[in-house]
Amino acid sequence: MIKDCMKRNVFSIPSTATIRQAAALVVERHIGLLPVVDEQGKPVGVVRLGDLLSLELPDFFNLLPDVDFVHDFGAVETTRPTPEELDRPVTTLVQPRIFVEETCGLLRAYALMVKHNLHDLPVVSEDGALVGIASRVDIGTAILSAWKTVTPSNL
Amino acid sequence: MIAEVFTALIFFTSLWLIFSEKLNRTITGLLGAVLMIGLGKLLHFYDESQAVAAVDFNTLGLLLGMMILVALLEPTGFFQFLAVWAGRFSRGRPVLLLVLLGTVTTVVSMFLDNVTTVVLMAPVTILICEILGVNPTPYLMAEALLSDTGGVATLVGDPPNVLIASAAGFSFNDFLTHALPIVIVAWFSALWLLRYMFRRELAVRPPNADVVLKLNPRESLDDPKTARRVLIVLCGAILLFFLEEPLDLSPAFVALSAAAVALVWVRPDINDVLRRIEWSVLVFFGALFVMVGGLEASGVLGGIITLLERLYTIPPVVFGLVLLWFSAGLSAFVDNVPITIALIPVLQGLEAHGVNVQPLWWALAFGAGFGGNGTIIGSTANIVVASISERTRTPITSKLWNKRGLPVMLVTCAVASVLYLLLYPLFTR
Repeated sequence: MIKDCMKRNVFSIPSTATIRQAAALVVERHIGLLPVVDEQGKPVGVVRLGDLLSLELPDFFNLLPDVDFVHDFGAVETTRPTPEELDRPVTTLVQPRIFVEETCGLLRAYALMVKHNLHDLPVVSEDGALVGIASRVDIGTAILSAWKTVTPSNL
Repeated sequence: MIAEVFTALIFFTSLWLIFSEKLNRTITGLLGAVLMIGLGKLLHFYDESQAVAAVDFNTLGLLLGMMILVALLEPTGFFQFLAVWAGRFSRGRPVLLLVLLGTVTTVVSMFLDNVTTVVLMAPVTILICEILGVNPTPYLMAEALLSDTGGVATLVGDPPNVLIASAAGFSFNDFLTHALPIVIVAWFSALWLLRYMFRRELAVRPPNADVVLKLNPRESLDDPKTARRVLIVLCGAILLFFLEEPLDLSPAFVALSAAAVALVWVRPDINDVLRRIEWSVLVFFGALFVMVGGLEASGVLGGIITLLERLYTIPPVVFGLVLLWFSAGLSAFVDNVPITIALIPVLQGLEAHGVNVQPLWWALAFGAGFGGNGTIIGSTANIVVASISERTRTPITSKLWNKRGLPVMLVTCAVASVLYLLLYPLFTR
């Protein structure tokens, strides 16, 4: 079960915070995913590192078939988001919530991460409160550790 | 009388739906076409066989052939290559960059669909501007406005030209002798005007202009082999367009032959190529032909023709100028394709009554072509550029387009009017 491999020390941010505060916490804790919680501590969504970075790397980049030919990003390299952009509520960047309960099986958790292209998966208790977070490495190594029970066939 | 009222009602309601964006234009077209046939069968003035006869397959064939060539060229990175090359060659000098990007887009869209050209050039244009740290708006607007203007010069450059050529029997060379000279003058006027209106933005010299020299055009060309093959076939097709009259070939035959040769030579995944074809455009055209066929069969167009004939006591050259500004004014607000398709039978009717309509065809080509520059919804290229700009820090608004695009439309139409007046004898044959 996912509760056996998840990290219990999980950082989150209230939904009233700004993008600036979210970015500061991501930098301070060196994390890739930040759950956003309401007043009861229940998660309402997540902010991913990539969502924050989209303010730095503008949206039109998605229209380019490739960027191999760009060897120097010039002015884009030093263009920062405007103060107005940074002081917008973090909820404007929030992605739809994909959470699992503590009792979720490892393969289901991994399959959800692959399908939704997630790197970290928040875990909630039965009453919906955020209790932990598991990364692909946490879940992946937990699955692989079961392989040691497979005995060699030539014995 | 009932038939006339109802067919006119179907047609103008469809135009209104398209104009107000209440319903997608292709869906509107299909609905209008079946309503027209249904009404025709009910009142016995129009049926399926007449509807099929109303479709101009020469236009559809030409469009399909050229779309296949573009679909083959698109994934090769050729368009990206051109934009990157223009950026590098400009060495980051704003005016030169504007001229180069505008020229490249124009020349390409004189032979290939200008919407595709703009769709593929615009993201790279924004990239170059972002790297330089300059506002992309002047460059994006120049690409849309100049390619729209330049497209009027050739038979294949602009959908209304394809329609007019097919209806009036104009050849590729007719466009080069009649439209090209006027378009060149209008194009340079538009460029000069853009240079003037954006003088403040273009005066800012990017601090790190050398950064564009680090762009590598070669790396942006993903599939040079395919690009070379398609371009060779395209050149062959253009050559055949020139020889259209002596060889007695239709433009549709040339375009579809080129598409077939290119497909055999490149041998791509055909489903992938067909997915890139703009079927919505082809269906829209077909549906409009059917709708206008219904208008014609019900006698609405006959009524308009009789009305216009009475007006024809005014000098023909004035009539031409009125048509130029009338079609330009309409094209600024409604798609120029339905306007052209609706006006074609009117001009053909006038011709049947003994009026020399040659100069009117050209007036329509200039009006429908240049009119699209006037507003953000005037042409598909404008809409595309504006929607791509919404993904940057400086979106192009409708208000800005009225301030910068409308003057371009007015100036190009004025230039065309003056030259039309001076060269009028040329247009009568």
